[in-house]
Amino acid sequence: MSIEVRHLHKRFGETVVCDDLSLDIPAGQLVALLGPSGSGKTTLLRMIAGLEVPDSGTVLFHGEDATDADVRERRVGFVFQHYALFGHMTIFENVAFGLRVRPKTVRPDEAEIRARVARLLAMVQLDYLAERYPHQLSGGQRQRIALARALAVEPKILLLDEPFGALDARVRRELRRWLRRLHDEMHVTSVFVTHDQEEAMEVADRIVVMNHGRIEQDGAPDEVYDHPASPFVLQFLGDANLFRGTLAAGGDGDAGTAYVRPHELQVTAHAEPGSVPVVFAQALTVGPNTRLEFRRGDGDGYVDVEMPRAEWLALRDRLGLVRGAQAHLVPRNVTRFANEDVDPAAMI
Amino acid sequence: MSAVAIVAAPPRVSEATTEPAWVRRVLIAVALAFLALFLFVPLVAVFAEALKKGVAVYLAAIVEPDALAAIRLTIVAAAISVPLNCVFGVAAAWAIAKFDFRGKNLLLTLIDLPFSVSPVIAGLIFVLVFGLQGWFGEWLRDHDLKIIFALPGIVIATIFITFPFVARELIPLMQAQGIEQEEAARVLGASGWQIFRRVTLPNVRWALLYGVILCNARAMGEFGAVSVVSGHIRGQTNTMPLHIEILYNEYQFAAAFAVASLLAGLALLTLVLKIVVERRVAAQAGGATR
Repeated sequence: MSIEVRHLHKRFGETVVCDDLSLDIPAGQLVALLGPSGSGKTTLLRMIAGLEVPDSGTVLFHGEDATDADVRERRVGFVFQHYALFGHMTIFENVAFGLRVRPKTVRPDEAEIRARVARLLAMVQLDYLAERYPHQLSGGQRQRIALARALAVEPKILLLDEPFGALDARVRRELRRWLRRLHDEMHVTSVFVTHDQEEAMEVADRIVVMNHGRIEQDGAPDEVYDHPASPFVLQFLGDANLFRGTLAAGGDGDAGTAYVRPHELQVTAHAEPGSVPVVFAQALTVGPNTRLEFRRGDGDGYVDVEMPRAEWLALRDRLGLVRGAQAHLVPRNVTRFANEDVDPAAMI
Repeated sequence: MSAVAIVAAPPRVSEATTEPAWVRRVLIAVALAFLALFLFVPLVAVFAEALKKGVAVYLAAIVEPDALAAIRLTIVAAAISVPLNCVFGVAAAWAIAKFDFRGKNLLLTLIDLPFSVSPVIAGLIFVLVFGLQGWFGEWLRDHDLKIIFALPGIVIATIFITFPFVARELIPLMQAQGIEQEEAARVLGASGWQIFRRVTLPNVRWALLYGVILCNARAMGEFGAVSVVSGHIRGQTNTMPLHIEILYNEYQFAAAFAVASLLAGLALLTLVLKIVVERRVAAQAGGATR
């Protein structure tokens, strides 16, 4: 089922949380709402679910106005950041809840409920935990149960609010892949909220970047990363070095701010057209990559460069890079924004 | 309650972070002496005095018609006011913990009012409102309704005095639990009543029972407010505490202490129940936050 959001406004007291949001999500897509805390992404998700009422604007499901529909009629599945499992019920009863509370006329019989819950528990690979209680499960297991519970009512739309936010890094990565596979099998229209750009890039078909209650950019992960629509998107989706007015790479005398990602800088021994003089400060190894820190020749802060570790070792020997050594940086790819008036410092 | 906790968890602290041994011993001795003098001795005295003239006198004092009437009235008043306060308390706690509305803080303060007002004043307020010279006095008389110096007055006064127990017990727990589970239930299609019965209520069941036990203990033991509205009509509007006072004033010490021992026994039973339920509450709170 497709979701259309039209001119949604929402404020809490004096704070505008959602400012004229419009969004089209075709059926079957897996969309990430990405943004920092306070960007309005969770509120948008809750308004789609019906847990929050917009001040104005409409939400359409499959072309039909659902703005005033009760949460119960919307047939959405919702997964909460902190799982919200029912602590006094067994895992089995948690998953069965949505079926048991149905009116008698549409409630499946006991055998059918048992079969369906068993199927869902098998799908999340936790059928052996059916008789346990939520507090006996790990965070990752709880979140999978929360997902099974949401899917038990066969929702037309699946909404996930920071579903992996409370989990540790390794479990997160596992669950991300698992969610991706699950979506590929079920094709239920899904929207998930995250503040982790890596998570959004890895899982989603499409990323909607939000900031201050507005949509900054909306597109495929590659598109958003390679062609950011604003300095905010560029900086939110990864590290970037700022060159204010000094970078002559374009050769057009542009005095605006230029952004270069750390892996798009080449280190050379001698000055080249468009290069920036720097002084080597230190090298930090982070996993397979090495992060190099250079002090700007003009004294205006630091520049980060990232490269594979093997490449760094070869470069160090070739240029004799020790602390305090002179070098030059040549950007391979520079991003500029026309009419930029946003203060980058305010976006951190 | 705190005494139990200290005994249950022997402190294992190093010399550097604790007081000298003699300080600890003196503090413990003072605390124990206080407990013995002000709690244990009176409790023993009640039962000793009650049985001083033998079991026959003890039983006679309890099966005496006025005493039986007082016991019956106490049980009836508690049986009406405790369930009502259970409903009021749950409703108030639910409203305060799960919804946002204007005047929430005012409501919270009002719930505490019975704790801060002297019970005698509470009783006088009801006499002022429902008594013969009170605001509704004439109207009530015209419609042949008796509230003051009758069971309804006693029940109303008891409800007022015991109102905070259930609500106060539930509000912090419900606030800590938040509304996520209720929201999850709503998205899954549960109606308001289903959410309450299947999610909210089971989550607070032990705290609720704890509140009910305290509420019941106070309802049966309440003296001040009930004393003002009851009128002390023997065999009709005397509750157990009032009956005890009358017996005592008439120098029937053995009888007074016999009935008092019943109330004291009830208090001991309440204490045991309280400890059992308290453990379950702690276990539940632990399960909820884990």
